[in-house]
Amino acid sequence: MGGLGVIGAEIRQNWPRMILNGVLVAALFQLFMLVALIVRFQALPNYVTGYDWFGNVIHIIRSTPSLSDMGPIIWEEWLLEVGHMNYDYGAGISEWSLNVIPSRLFVLFVLGAMMALCLGLMRGDTCSRTASGSMRAATGLGALLIAMTNATMSWVVCCATPTWVVGLAMLGLGVSSSLALERVGPVFSIFGFALLVAMIFTLAWRRARQTAEPKGALSNA
Amino acid sequence: MKQLLKTAVLASALMPLASAAFAEKITVAVGHQSMCTDTYTAGIVIKELGLLEKYLPTEGKYADAEYDVVWADYSSGGPITNQMLANKLNIGVMGDYPLIVNGAKFQETDSLRSIYVAGTGYNLKGSGNAIVVPVDSDIYSIDQLKGKDVSTPVGSAAWGMLLKAMQDNNIPTAEYALKNQSPAVGAANIAAGKIDAHSDFCPWSEIMEFRGTGRKIYDGSETGVPYLHGVVVRQDFAEEYPEVVNAFLKAVIEAGDWIREDPMRAVTEMEGWTGVEKEVLYLYFSKGGHLTLEPTIKDTWVDALKFNHGVLVKEKAIPPLDFDAWITEDYIKTAYADMGLDYEADKASIVDPATANAGLPMEIWHARDGVSSYPSMPEFLTAVAAMQGTGAKLNATYVYDIETGLKLFGKTAFWVKAGEDYATFLRKGEAEAYAAANGGSVITFDEAIADFVVEG
Repeated sequence: MGGLGVIGAEIRQNWPRMILNGVLVAALFQLFMLVALIVRFQALPNYVTGYDWFGNVIHIIRSTPSLSDMGPIIWEEWLLEVGHMNYDYGAGISEWSLNVIPSRLFVLFVLGAMMALCLGLMRGDTCSRTASGSMRAATGLGALLIAMTNATMSWVVCCATPTWVVGLAMLGLGVSSSLALERVGPVFSIFGFALLVAMIFTLAWRRARQTAEPKGALSNA
Repeated sequence: MKQLLKTAVLASALMPLASAAFAEKITVAVGHQSMCTDTYTAGIVIKELGLLEKYLPTEGKYADAEYDVVWADYSSGGPITNQMLANKLNIGVMGDYPLIVNGAKFQETDSLRSIYVAGTGYNLKGSGNAIVVPVDSDIYSIDQLKGKDVSTPVGSAAWGMLLKAMQDNNIPTAEYALKNQSPAVGAANIAAGKIDAHSDFCPWSEIMEFRGTGRKIYDGSETGVPYLHGVVVRQDFAEEYPEVVNAFLKAVIEAGDWIREDPMRAVTEMEGWTGVEKEVLYLYFSKGGHLTLEPTIKDTWVDALKFNHGVLVKEKAIPPLDFDAWITEDYIKTAYADMGLDYEADKASIVDPATANAGLPMEIWHARDGVSSYPSMPEFLTAVAAMQGTGAKLNATYVYDIETGLKLFGKTAFWVKAGEDYATFLRKGEAEAYAAANGGSVITFDEAIADFVVEG
């Protein structure tokens, strides 16, 4: 059985776990971001706004002539906004918010499913501890890059919209550095996925090789 | 006959339905910012006075149109652009830097474009943005910000102003720590003394001054780059409904007229609509205020926007922007013509506070009696002393900076007494220089008032 066959078999065997893991990663990451915002800004959210995501997507499709433009616009559509409104000045200003964006939920779902696949393939792997550690680290790095670049927090540092670098800025990275990194977000994300895909194929190839090579010598041939 | 009658009745019953089916529903969705004073004439004022509805076309192809006017309030311009891209907003009102981002983001797409159709107001030299320090700070000039923590809402006009101000004063980025802070957080940190300085846009600096928590050390006017706000419209909307865009721009013009007609009434109303203190708004919208309400698109504005785009390209690498394709005067010219106004005359007129405000009277806003004017400093100070002597509540007092012509709160100005003359300044350095040159001394507002207190 080749590498692709191993991956197929693993997916067939473990798809419920992959789906569950995908849902959990997408949901827990939203929770993680919300907690990070609450801790960072020392304030609980005081407003929640729901958006008609389906209706808005249909509206965008109807009113955007070019197919190539539709994707990026729909990609940024919100489903839910949870944040903190500051009423000290004027009619209130949304200081920060977590924006639940279906496109990013999908990416995180795929990430979670891929992580489950990786872990599933690692389970039967008989490689050395060092090699196993390296593969886990690579998987972790890939997951981190994808998760980090799909953070959807908003911090009303005027004119800011939900962007992954808000997370970096919250962690104290300089403004200029954060902004410089903003446009390379997709590159980081693709690199993260590439790492995960590479890990999946490496693990599948190793398992295929182990299956093909009989363990020990045949004594009674 | 019976059948004919039945058909006629049915037809007449269906007529309203048929006409309703042909009646077009036009949604006019406007994104505005109720916490940004310079957008008010294209936002909150039009909304609250119902001015757009007044001018929306109802004839010709609009005879059966049903309008659905939607107003969405935002804290900044960025989200307005995103909502315009998604066609959930047709019209957006924002400051110069976000305007440029709007145009560039639309031009980055294959099929969508926005157009810049009008301004809302301006300050020729850039007032509106400012750098503020905690009121008790020992920082009095931008030079003293070396090695300090300075916060600003990154991406805003105030951020652009801060970068230019630092460059103009030879303070490289490495010599100060730039923090990214929202207006409300910056204002709170200034009040608590948690940050050395905060750069913000209108009217945040003045809110801090009015509340007695902050003091301006640098005004945007020192950069010499005009500060302006404007109206952008989705091009497809403007092409389909040009008369609606014209209606909106007529509403912008009337909103400006309404404010100029009675600034005190206007700011009092606007305080109720926005929550921003009327005394702060008066600093912007009164005669001699920071803001000139005028929507023409001047060549100087286009140059300023190009300059701002250069700043953004350098800092954020935003996409290029074809200004010729983006800016159009057609709609605002039509609105002017429809209202019988002279567009070219307004376009040619540029208000420079340094000259326009020279000789304007000082003002006192008495809590009960309203605003009164005083042509000379002794008259003004005498009146303040007398009112304070009766225990009257004064909401605010207004004077002018000798150097820039900017309107200031009396309590935040630096006062110089030279002989029997009094002069007021925005910055301490200029007050000291004036005092030295004229044999005077820098005094406080209270000391100036004390000179006019009549005993007994």
